[in-house]
Amino acid sequence: MMDFLEIDKLSAFYGKAKALHEVSLTVKQGEIIAIIGANGAGKSTFLDSIMGLTKTEGDIRLEGQSLIGRSTPQIVESGVGYAPERFNLFPYMSVYDNLLVGAFTARTDIEKNIKVVENLFPRLKERRNQETHTQSGGERQMVSLGRALMSSPRLLIVDEPTIGLAPKICIEIASVLKRLRDEFNTTIVITEQNANFAMTLAERLYVLESGSIKIQGSVEELKNDPQLTEAYFGH
Amino acid sequence: MGLGLRWYHFALWAGFILVMALMPEFVSKGTLRTMIFANFLAIFAISWDVLSGRTGYISFGHPFLIGIGAYTTAILTKRFDVPVEYAIPAAIAMTMVGGTIMFLPALRIKGSYFALVSLAFMELIYQLVQVIRPDLTGGTRGMSGIVTLTRGAANGYYLSFSLMIIVALSMWLLMRTRLGTALSAIAMNEESVKGSGLSPTKLKLFAFMTSAFVAGLGGAFYVHYLGSIAPRALFDINFVFTIIVATLIGGASTIVGPMFGAFFLTFLLEYLRPFLPGAERYLIYGAIALLLYMYQPKGLYHIFMSQLDRFKKSGDDD
Repeated sequence: MMDFLEIDKLSAFYGKAKALHEVSLTVKQGEIIAIIGANGAGKSTFLDSIMGLTKTEGDIRLEGQSLIGRSTPQIVESGVGYAPERFNLFPYMSVYDNLLVGAFTARTDIEKNIKVVENLFPRLKERRNQETHTQSGGERQMVSLGRALMSSPRLLIVDEPTIGLAPKICIEIASVLKRLRDEFNTTIVITEQNANFAMTLAERLYVLESGSIKIQGSVEELKNDPQLTEAYFGH
Repeated sequence: MGLGLRWYHFALWAGFILVMALMPEFVSKGTLRTMIFANFLAIFAISWDVLSGRTGYISFGHPFLIGIGAYTTAILTKRFDVPVEYAIPAAIAMTMVGGTIMFLPALRIKGSYFALVSLAFMELIYQLVQVIRPDLTGGTRGMSGIVTLTRGAANGYYLSFSLMIIVALSMWLLMRTRLGTALSAIAMNEESVKGSGLSPTKLKLFAFMTSAFVAGLGGAFYVHYLGSIAPRALFDINFVFTIIVATLIGGASTIVGPMFGAFFLTFLLEYLRPFLPGAERYLIYGAIALLLYMYQPKGLYHIFMSQLDRFKKSGDDD
C-alpha cells in the first residue's frame, strides 16, 4: 500500500560533501513522527531536502507524486508546510505580517487560516501587531508554526520546535501539534534533540546519526531500547 | 482589499495634495524651482526605497537607471526628432531593461557586495556615454537644447508635483499589499521567504523592475524639465548620497518618508547655501542625518507616526 509520504534512499549534498546517506522512511497520513539526533546529525538537512532547498539524490513522494525537481514554492503548493527554527522569522515585522508571508499559495484562504492559527495560539491574536524580535522564544515558535500553517499544509514539517524552550511551553506546543493532527488530519514530521519530548508526541521515531538512520521503530518498541537510552537519556 | 486604509489616510493625503496644489499662489518662483527639484528627488528616493528600502539590496548605482531614462529620451528627441509622447515611454522601457541587467548580479550576491557592484554600474555608464558614440550622447559635455515640456516655474511645478504624487500614491498603495510585505521579508531572511513557498527571485525581479520604472520615469521627465544633461553631475556619487540620505532621513521602506525626506533635504541644502556656499553644506546634512539616526534610526516618518499614535491614544482616554 502506498504511504502518504515515502522517502526513498535520499542523499543530500553541500557542494561535494554528503550530509545525508540514503535515508529511507515512510509516514502514514495523520501520523506524527519524530527524527531525533544530536547537533550535526543531518536533521535540518533532511527537512531542507524535503522542501527542495538542498541538492539531493533519491526520491521523495507525497501521495505517490514525486517532489523531486519541483521548486520550493511548488512543493509548498503541493501541500507541504515548513516551520523552521524560530530564529528564522522576519524579526522587524508584526506577527500578522509574518503570517501573511506564509499565505501566498493559491489554495490559501487568508482570513480563514488567520482564524485557525489564532484559535490554536490565542496569544498570537493578542500580539497581532507586535514585531517578532520583541517576543519571547515560545511566542516566536508559535509564529513559526503559524506561518507554516497559513498555506493549509497536509504535511507539516517542524524543525526542533522545543529548542531552548521552557517545559511548560513544550507541553503547549505538543498539544497544539496533536490538535492539528486530530482536527485537521495533518501529517506531522518533527526533528528533535529532546528524545523525551519526541516520545510524548510522536508515534514513531527515527534516530539520525551522521546522516544515516541508525535506529527506528514505534515509541513502544524504543522506550526500553538500550541503544537509545544510552545515547539520549544518558543512563 | 486588506490595505488597512483608515479615514485619516485619506484625510492626510487629500490635505497634503491640497496644500501642495495651492503652493504656487503663496511662494516665490525661486522657492517653486527648489520644490521642483524636491519633487524629482522625491521620485528618485521613492524608486530607491522600493528596491533598497524594501528588499535590502542597497543600490549605490541608482543614477545608472535614472541616466538610462534621461539619455534615452534626450537622444531620441534631440537626435532623431521622436515626439516626446513616444520618447518617454521608450525611455522607461529602456530603463526597465537596465533594471533587469542590474538585477542579474542580485541573483548571486547580496549585502555590501551588491552595493559595490551597483556602484560599478554607475561608473560603467559614466565612462560609456563619454566614449561610445559621442555624436549621439554629447560625450563629456552632455547635451543641451533638449525640448522642455513646460514654461515657467508654476507649470513646471504642477507637472513635477503631479508625477511625484502619482508615483508616491501608487507605490504607497502597492507596498501596503501582501506583495510589499513579502518584499520587506526578503531583506530580513531570504531563505525563510523561500521556505514559506515564495520565489525570492521573482520578488526581487519585481522590485528591480518597479524601481527602474519609477527611476526611468523620473529621469526622463527631469531631463525634459532641465533641457540639458551633463554626465558629470548625473553620474555623481554626491547625487547617489543625496538620494540615499533623503530616503533614510525620511524613513526607509515607508515611501511617504522618502517623499518628505526629499523635501526636507532639498530645503535644508537650499537654506544653507547663503551661509555655506561650498561643499561644506554636505557636512551639515551629514551631521543632521547622524543625529537623527541616533535619535530615531527609522527616520522622520516614525517620529511623526509615534506622535500620531500618542495623539490617538490620548483621544481614546477622553
